[in-house]
Amino acid sequence: MSLIVAAFGFGLVSMSIIAISAVGFTMQFGITNMINLAYGQVMIASAYAAYAVNNAGVSIWLALPVAAVFGALFSFLLNRLVYAPFQRKGTNLIGMVIISLAVSLVIANVMLPIVGYYSVSYHQNPGTTYHLGSIAVTGEQLAIIGVAVVVMLAIHALLRLTRLGKAMRATAANPTLARNCGIPTARVIDLAWLITGALCGIAGAVAGMNSDSFSVASGSEFLIPIIAASILGGAGSPYGAMIGAVIIGEMTEISAAIISPEYKQVVAFAVLVLVMVLRPQGLLAKRGALAAAG
Amino acid sequence: MTYYLTTILVYAAVDILACLAISLQFGVSGIVNFSFIIFQAAGAYTAAVLSLPRDTANGGFQNYILGLNLSFPLPWIAATVVGAVIAVPIGLVALRRLRSDYQAIAMLVLSVIASLVVTNTPAFLGGAAGLSLVPQPLSDKFNPYSDSYQWAFTIGALILAVIVFFLVQRVINSPYGRSLRAMRENEAAANALGKNAVALKMTVFIAGGAIAGLSGAILVGFITIWAPSTWLYPETLILFAAVIVGGRGNNYGAVLGALLVPVGFEEATRYIPPFGPPGLIPALEWVCIGGLILGFLWFRPRGVLPERRRVFPPRRQVAEVGNPSASRD
Repeated sequence: MSLIVAAFGFGLVSMSIIAISAVGFTMQFGITNMINLAYGQVMIASAYAAYAVNNAGVSIWLALPVAAVFGALFSFLLNRLVYAPFQRKGTNLIGMVIISLAVSLVIANVMLPIVGYYSVSYHQNPGTTYHLGSIAVTGEQLAIIGVAVVVMLAIHALLRLTRLGKAMRATAANPTLARNCGIPTARVIDLAWLITGALCGIAGAVAGMNSDSFSVASGSEFLIPIIAASILGGAGSPYGAMIGAVIIGEMTEISAAIISPEYKQVVAFAVLVLVMVLRPQGLLAKRGALAAAG
Repeated sequence: MTYYLTTILVYAAVDILACLAISLQFGVSGIVNFSFIIFQAAGAYTAAVLSLPRDTANGGFQNYILGLNLSFPLPWIAATVVGAVIAVPIGLVALRRLRSDYQAIAMLVLSVIASLVVTNTPAFLGGAAGLSLVPQPLSDKFNPYSDSYQWAFTIGALILAVIVFFLVQRVINSPYGRSLRAMRENEAAANALGKNAVALKMTVFIAGGAIAGLSGAILVGFITIWAPSTWLYPETLILFAAVIVGGRGNNYGAVLGALLVPVGFEEATRYIPPFGPPGLIPALEWVCIGGLILGFLWFRPRGVLPERRRVFPPRRQVAEVGNPSASRD
């Protein structure tokens, strides 16, 4: 029993990481109607950007904004230079998925010779360990949970309280109508890629902090719980992705304690299959702020 | 030299089979099967565990299920059947009325997960180390190391590829093939005309699975080893690159793509002098594959040999009787 309670504590950390990344992933999908399968690779690239700064002797917490900026610029350029031109050309949804997978392959293999084949880990100080019953979390893990809470609140405020958030929701709901109403959708989409890219970068860095080590190959591993959480919550819905992250985060960690850590991803996949069979639109797609069309 | 030529030709036959299946699924029917490689893997594993003796043989250095020691051609037939059978549950989940890109990512995730499960379950199919010493077909009757055996195997593989080519050709030129293209072009319209898109996709998925299973059996029968590292999800993308380069929906294009991309790349890197740190060349190879897909989708989305435009002959007689000027269109 205490094992499961301890796993619940780990679940809090992994749900935080999944939440940050899944909200970014699902917003890209909601606003730009694009499933960006290169997301995991951008996460890893940002984690390495933070590693470069961290390796130069800077604290990992100061390197976190570097990862965010790197992820934002990378995603922005990716959209501007690759995705947007193809979308303008009228490439269909399937074509875009193939393109994003090809891009992910290119990013991973351009990175390999640059960063090397071996796993790296951040120079970090996990801080004191706090105990609550059989839950044990390090100070650093508490800080990761804190980052996730701040990011979620910031996204909520952005979508609900600002003009930009309103424009984003309008663009997600119907881009043509939004443009006709005078919303500069091109600029909104640019900003959406910058913001979601920053989330992707932060997620990459905190995922790197929470794992013992990471390598280029971790990118596709990251992507599975993200996809599972986004689809569970209803693709395109940020609030759905948050709920999805809570469920996937806890389920994977608790199952790791009960069955075996090797099958974490399999549990995430089983949830994905169940959702696709029972409720393909996801939990919140109908009420989600950024519900995807179709 | 015999070894070199037969290896290239067997790989060509296997890749041609795989590309035909992808062309049927993706090119003709518009299904993006990102889990394609697991059908090939399923065929290869099936053929392997059916032709291997029990895992206690060979000193028991590898673990796997079954080990029935069946003789050729039973393992190959079983591999084809298994490829078709596993398509049923996957298709039932993935091909429901979902957005096409949802279907694609579900299958991509499946491919990653399948590899994870097999790698982490050593007793099932040999785990990460995989299976080795798989007996070659009829190796109890002939000497598999002789040149004549190698050539017979190669010719057999090529004949199978040719047979499948003509079968697929028949299918895509049939009324059924026309329904598939209608579904690809406009699923809602095909549904409205009474075509059951889910059932159509299901049949194509099963047919493609069977071809993939056969291709896996041929491959494992030749190389005699099989492991998770040979069927990682990017391998599927190589085959997609081949079909996109060759020309999707055109069987000649699929064959050309199979010869240019998987076979061509393998051969080209053989002749490049090694440079840079180890692993640089494979990494660059993957970058080229990705670049190839992006480049072709941008500059020549229909491939080198585009799908033939299918136009119905104008109804001349009616047009000429009614209004002579209408016969121009």
